[in-house]
Amino acid sequence: MKTRLRSTVFFTRLASVLTTLFGISVFVFIVLRVIPGDSITGSLGIETGALNAEQIAALKAYYGIDKSLFGQYFSWMSSFLSGDFGFAYSNGVSVLELTKSALPVTIQLALFGTISGVIIGISVGMFSASKPGSTRDFAGQFFGLLALAVPGFVLSTTIVTIMANKFGYFPNGYEYMSPWEDPWMNFQQMMFPGLVLGIAVAAPVMRTTRSALLETVDKDFIRTAYGKGVKHKIVQYKHVLRNSLIPIVTMTGIQFGYLLGGAVIVEKIFAMPGMGRQILDAINKREYATVQSSVMIFAIMFVLINLITDMIYRRIDPRIK
Amino acid sequence: MKGESVKRKKLAIAALAASLAVGTLAAQPAKAASTSLVIGSVLDIDKLDPHTATNFGTVRALGLVYSSLVEVGPANKLKTGLATAWQFSADGKTLRLTLREGVKFHDGSTFDAVDAKASLERILDTKTGAAARANIATITSISAAGRYLTLSLSVPNVPILAALDGVNMAMLSSADIAAGKVGGTNKPNGTGPFKFESWEPTQSVKLSANPTYWMGEPKISDITIRVIPTEASILSAMNAGTIQFGIVTDPLIAKQVNARNLKLFKTPALGYYALQLNNKVAPFNDKNVRLAVQCAIDRQEVINTAMLGQGAISGPITSPAYRSSTTARPCPKADLAKAKSYLAASGKTDVTFKALVTSTGWATSVAMAQNIKAQLAKAGITMELDITDQATYVPRWLAADFVATLANNGGRIDPDTMYTRYFTSTGNLNKVATYSSATLDANFLKGKSSSKTSIRTEAYTAISKELEDNAVWVWLATPFEYRITAKNLKNFTALATGSLLPLRSASLG
Repeated sequence: MKTRLRSTVFFTRLASVLTTLFGISVFVFIVLRVIPGDSITGSLGIETGALNAEQIAALKAYYGIDKSLFGQYFSWMSSFLSGDFGFAYSNGVSVLELTKSALPVTIQLALFGTISGVIIGISVGMFSASKPGSTRDFAGQFFGLLALAVPGFVLSTTIVTIMANKFGYFPNGYEYMSPWEDPWMNFQQMMFPGLVLGIAVAAPVMRTTRSALLETVDKDFIRTAYGKGVKHKIVQYKHVLRNSLIPIVTMTGIQFGYLLGGAVIVEKIFAMPGMGRQILDAINKREYATVQSSVMIFAIMFVLINLITDMIYRRIDPRIK
Repeated sequence: MKGESVKRKKLAIAALAASLAVGTLAAQPAKAASTSLVIGSVLDIDKLDPHTATNFGTVRALGLVYSSLVEVGPANKLKTGLATAWQFSADGKTLRLTLREGVKFHDGSTFDAVDAKASLERILDTKTGAAARANIATITSISAAGRYLTLSLSVPNVPILAALDGVNMAMLSSADIAAGKVGGTNKPNGTGPFKFESWEPTQSVKLSANPTYWMGEPKISDITIRVIPTEASILSAMNAGTIQFGIVTDPLIAKQVNARNLKLFKTPALGYYALQLNNKVAPFNDKNVRLAVQCAIDRQEVINTAMLGQGAISGPITSPAYRSSTTARPCPKADLAKAKSYLAASGKTDVTFKALVTSTGWATSVAMAQNIKAQLAKAGITMELDITDQATYVPRWLAADFVATLANNGGRIDPDTMYTRYFTSTGNLNKVATYSSATLDANFLKGKSSSKTSIRTEAYTAISKELEDNAVWVWLATPFEYRITAKNLKNFTALATGSLLPLRSASLG
């Protein structure tokens, strides 16, 4: 009985995931075709005006936009499912090659941002919730508000300008180094963009932590723990924090998903060759295959993150089955 | 006791933070070797075929790898390139070029007239999709004999010589062309001062000095063109000393250059900004409305406010030898009374139109549009802004899907290659120009057919006058080309064309 229930849940979940991914693929495909321009005008700009009909027809065939919309969609989707993500014409390499170099940058940046954001957010949230209504609570909430209000591009530009102009320090001006090539340089190049993203993550995590802690601290089992003479620190970490983790994990999962796709500006300012830049450049050049395949990769990752978040729920709350 | 312990802890934390900061700053890699140059550019290259390159980033990078038959020098004058001399026939229908001897391609093969012939034939082949094919379409046959290349033309065409300059006219190896080894993933094989080494898409292009370059081996041993996606970050990287050369277009960034650490090269560009009016649709199918708009705009105010004073008032022709006079136009300065009288003559009391503006095409586009909008409002003309991104702007511009549009168009050192495609009735961009006339056609033919400067000046002055008197477009200003360099970059001169070719003579000392 239990096994049947589990498999029903699994298949329902799988069907929902596949439907979501199919919907995203159709949506992105249509949106790209609706906006004016195509790969030819995206690549040649106003020089497209110098092409004759024969040249335009040849270029349409080259970019694969001479087929019907259905033909284009099924051609791309069947290639995507077989692991061929298409060709990035303006980069002279396959989308897979491009993604192989950009995706690790974005994942590393998102992890850096999430980890630093969670550490800062939970610490400030706990600090704030430890004495509600006090100066420390006010300071913590002020930090949360400030981190939410200051846009990432302002913070990024400020950091870059101050570090470069005052200290002559801008490691992102050097060639990008992966952690395997030069871990120390990679750390320096990730440090500031990661911190900017971390501050953006810290604000909602801090607010969620604070409210979750305040809600939990009033529960009966906390009073019981105190009544049994358990030490304050143990109550805070083992009982209050642990029982407040679900909303914090949810918020962290959502923020990590956003960071994967939403670090475009930070990637641009810090010259990080990540997925955000890859997609933005491809949209500007109307590189359909690059945009569609990259968005699908993000969508699949988002789904995976949701699954991981669900698994973490089960781990931290045995009541969830 | 407890206080002291806390104090010690605090001191230790402070010391740790300080040492981390110092360590971080000190641990930067050594700055590039003195003969290596790192260039910061917002644009990556997008292909390796010089004949089909249109992206500025590609044109600049491949311009260091390939050479053309002629070149544009610092004074915007034509000079020898791979051709050392040239001669037109008396009827202007034959051009004979003498080619430089001893020039080698990067693969070691020798450049000769057969390579030049094959290169031009490749450009003329419609299958190539060459960007500059239209500029040399009058070539009917090409013959190569020894050091000599002879071009036969269908009509007298003196400006074709200037059209032979640039990356789009690069000389390729005939063997590479025959083997289909140009573009795609094939390594570029040119005769330029720098050899192509590698391209890491979205990150960098690497070049190395060509020891057999016909002007001698460049003093800069290698060049890395690094993609830094924002101009503010390029300036930061320059200030930090991580790059030694920056390509920027935004006057705001140029104004922030600190002259104590860096050098700023500011050169008037050949390109220009214009408010293109669609002469085929209302309200601009009425000449008086077009003239009213022209008279209502104070160009200097546009330059001072939107372009931060970084530009010069311009007429239609920006080619240095034939530059349009900015005083020979219906309203050399803004004249609201005259604008209103033109409006009254049109019989319209309320003129409202939409202007297509690109938000991402160039740094000052939206600011310029907003300033013009405010100025036109004083004359009772309402300009609504239709702001869009560059990728959406281009197809609408090509289809002339606008009533008016603020444009940033490229210029050339010869007015023929600059404007024939726009303002002759058969020009491939005449649909976008929205204006042509028999007199313009005749004057373009007159300018094209003669090698005498006086006749050509007469023709282009007449063209300029017709365009201004009819307010076909409102020509506004020419911007500056900016190059930021480290103080130790010597012997670099900036060109109005934006080419990086002067780096072949530069050194880092």
